[in-house]
Amino acid sequence: MITAVLTGVGTVCAFGSGVGELWRGLAEGRSAVAPVRQFSAANLGVQVAGEATAADIDAEWIRTQLPPDMAITLEAKLQALQLRGALRDRKLGFAVVAAAEAWTMAGLGEADRDLPLILAHGLEHGFPEDFAPLLRNGRVDWRLANTESGSVRMRSPVDAAGRAIRQLFGLRGPLVAPVSACAAGAMAVADAAQMVARGEADLVLCGATDSMLNPLGMGGMARLGAPSPRAEVDACRPFDVRRDGLAMGEGAAVFVVENAERARARGATPLAVVLGAGTSQDAFRATAPLPDGSAAARAIMVALRSARLAPSELGYVNAHGTGTPLNDPAECRALHAALGAHAELVPVSSIKGAIGHLMAAAGAVEIAASLLAFQRDLLPGTAHHQQRDPVCDVDVIGEQPRRARIDVLLSNSFGFGGQNCAVVLGRAP
Amino acid sequence: MSVAVVGWGLRTALGSDADAALSALLRGETAARPPRSFDGTDYRAQLVAEIDGDPAPSRHARYLRRLALLGCEVAQAALRQSGVATGDRLGLFAAVGGLRVHWQELMGPMAQQRADASDCWQRGLRGLHPHWLLRHLSNNAHALLAADIHARGDGATLAGATAGAQAIAAASRALNAGAIDAALIVAYDRLLEPETLVDLGQRGLPAMVGLQSWVGPYAGNAGGMIPGEAAAALVLVREAEAPLCWVQARATADGELSEPAGSTLAAAAAPLARGIAVVDGAARGVPTLDSAERIALGSVVDGNAALLATAAGLGQTGAAAAVVQTIVLALVLRSGMLPPIACVDVPAVGPLRPVVTPTPTAATAALGLCSGAPGLAAAVRVDVEKPR
Repeated sequence: MITAVLTGVGTVCAFGSGVGELWRGLAEGRSAVAPVRQFSAANLGVQVAGEATAADIDAEWIRTQLPPDMAITLEAKLQALQLRGALRDRKLGFAVVAAAEAWTMAGLGEADRDLPLILAHGLEHGFPEDFAPLLRNGRVDWRLANTESGSVRMRSPVDAAGRAIRQLFGLRGPLVAPVSACAAGAMAVADAAQMVARGEADLVLCGATDSMLNPLGMGGMARLGAPSPRAEVDACRPFDVRRDGLAMGEGAAVFVVENAERARARGATPLAVVLGAGTSQDAFRATAPLPDGSAAARAIMVALRSARLAPSELGYVNAHGTGTPLNDPAECRALHAALGAHAELVPVSSIKGAIGHLMAAAGAVEIAASLLAFQRDLLPGTAHHQQRDPVCDVDVIGEQPRRARIDVLLSNSFGFGGQNCAVVLGRAP
Repeated sequence: MSVAVVGWGLRTALGSDADAALSALLRGETAARPPRSFDGTDYRAQLVAEIDGDPAPSRHARYLRRLALLGCEVAQAALRQSGVATGDRLGLFAAVGGLRVHWQELMGPMAQQRADASDCWQRGLRGLHPHWLLRHLSNNAHALLAADIHARGDGATLAGATAGAQAIAAASRALNAGAIDAALIVAYDRLLEPETLVDLGQRGLPAMVGLQSWVGPYAGNAGGMIPGEAAAALVLVREAEAPLCWVQARATADGELSEPAGSTLAAAAAPLARGIAVVDGAARGVPTLDSAERIALGSVVDGNAALLATAAGLGQTGAAAAVVQTIVLALVLRSGMLPPIACVDVPAVGPLRPVVTPTPTAATAALGLCSGAPGLAAAVRVDVEKPR
């Protein structure tokens, strides 16, 4: 039986670049959701979010976030991406920075460039600034888009960030692009761990990146009605009786998943063991979770079964916890269905109040956040959670983190459209 | 490990179902035509393979675009044919191509925007239809289909040019691990969206001549690929007494930014190539790519193996390709007749034997290859007798 361990992690989120910044923000019980600064969101239906940075993402911004030697190595390739206009899609830059951190932390090198890359993405990004000049008499004149050979125009392909990482790091292995909405990031980690456990790869780079913090993305979400209508920093209040919607966020998390024996042999320090994972589908609606949580419960039970663990062995649950009226009660019912009596005992929190909902990247960043439990014996808190909704009858950790030494945790990701993924992590021996 | 196919559904530019596609392929037909559903003068691609007709009226039409609706139709057909049980033990794996922004639906909200996005809400975004984002979601077809058919088992939505092969592989793993008892694969893609045609044109891949002048893949003067569209579905189970076929899939990649090297296609094929005498090539119709593919394949299959190019008839179908090939190759093997490569009289010299006239075959296994950017390659092995 091959064990998969995490030997590298990198993140970008509203707390900043680097997993240390994520852990620091959570350890201090802070929230980074704030008024949007990149552009004027006045009159936009959504005005607050967890922005990773107010800056435009360009080669210079990325260079400043990279380890110095890597910044030098990648400079020319970053410039090439910038010249093609690719870096305007913010999630590319986030993914590159997170991948660089994970790659460096794991101590990977030239011999590792054949590893598979499983990078989850959200929606394709369209560039309105490219679109406008093509408008002629009420239609798009696509002939005008044909003039620049080889450039990225109009759109950033669905796997654009994966392509960028492959190009920058010289990767030559398989590329997989899960797009299972908000469960995609967790699925990427689960797939990578299973690939290692099956012996198909000794080493996998995996994770997710997303940003919908642009006028079209935020406008579209606003019209959909998912975000909180309040333009307040506590827009997202998971499990709180006053919760009224999510706060959008952006960022990325990338991991190195590795065969434990290989990691041990080369002296790498595991961050955690990936013990199990499970997926399921609500088969209910595109826009609402199955109210009884039974399908989500199935994902949790499959994950525990694959980890060969009893519910009572769980020490912490990092919830999907969007802060929407429908999601949080459904998730609590899922926990009760899957964990039985232990559902009332195990501490539960959601970090979406602190950094927003990172959409396709949410599951991956939340797995990274959960590592705080193993790294510092701290369970992340639930920013802006003050009064538990009685229908959310679980032990919700309040705004401040809770000190506890645990050995096993569960991270839930329940995507829009009812795609569910649960991942069980264990403390590294 | 192979899994059994017990149901399928197919909608391509060569007819409204799988049998129609096979018949047309055996006649050496191609669906390649000048565009009919859009103004082709905007693009370098002069020939495309479009599906005739529209999906049946559906309550999902407000959330799903045409190809996704067709995907749901073929998925339902496959499920009916299979007779498998729905519920917790039925998985659903979807393969989609690019997601695209669909600018044509944004004309109103975008027309008055400024480059700095100032006043963007007042300048049009408030006019976005509430369903616009739902129509743009990566997994909307997956979500609605799962609800329709009550599939609650394992599942994933995968994107990219080899997503179909990846979906088959993921479903096979879930089946063989015992996590589910049946899996529905649905794959759909449309390479005829404006952004895709622009991208393909910039990469110099599509046919840029009229049909009379176009020469198909594996000829020395092959005239480029035919962008197409397709929706295809399979129902997979671990074992079955008399399945439609058995299938195995594998996807890999190299460091190329555009099409993969021939050796990468061969690497995808190699683990599945034992005893293979029929290969449906990636058929990109670019002589340098075709030649490299044949040379590389010559090292993993018999150099005299028959070489097909179903994409010359059906068009390139992106994320749907591996699923389309599974169905078409199973039908080809069951028919005992190999279809000729459309619009090729004299193939280029090289390893493997391009089929230019309908040719009887006793083969019971075939290999299908597909590819796409960036450096993605995949292979499916189809057996009509249970593989040992």
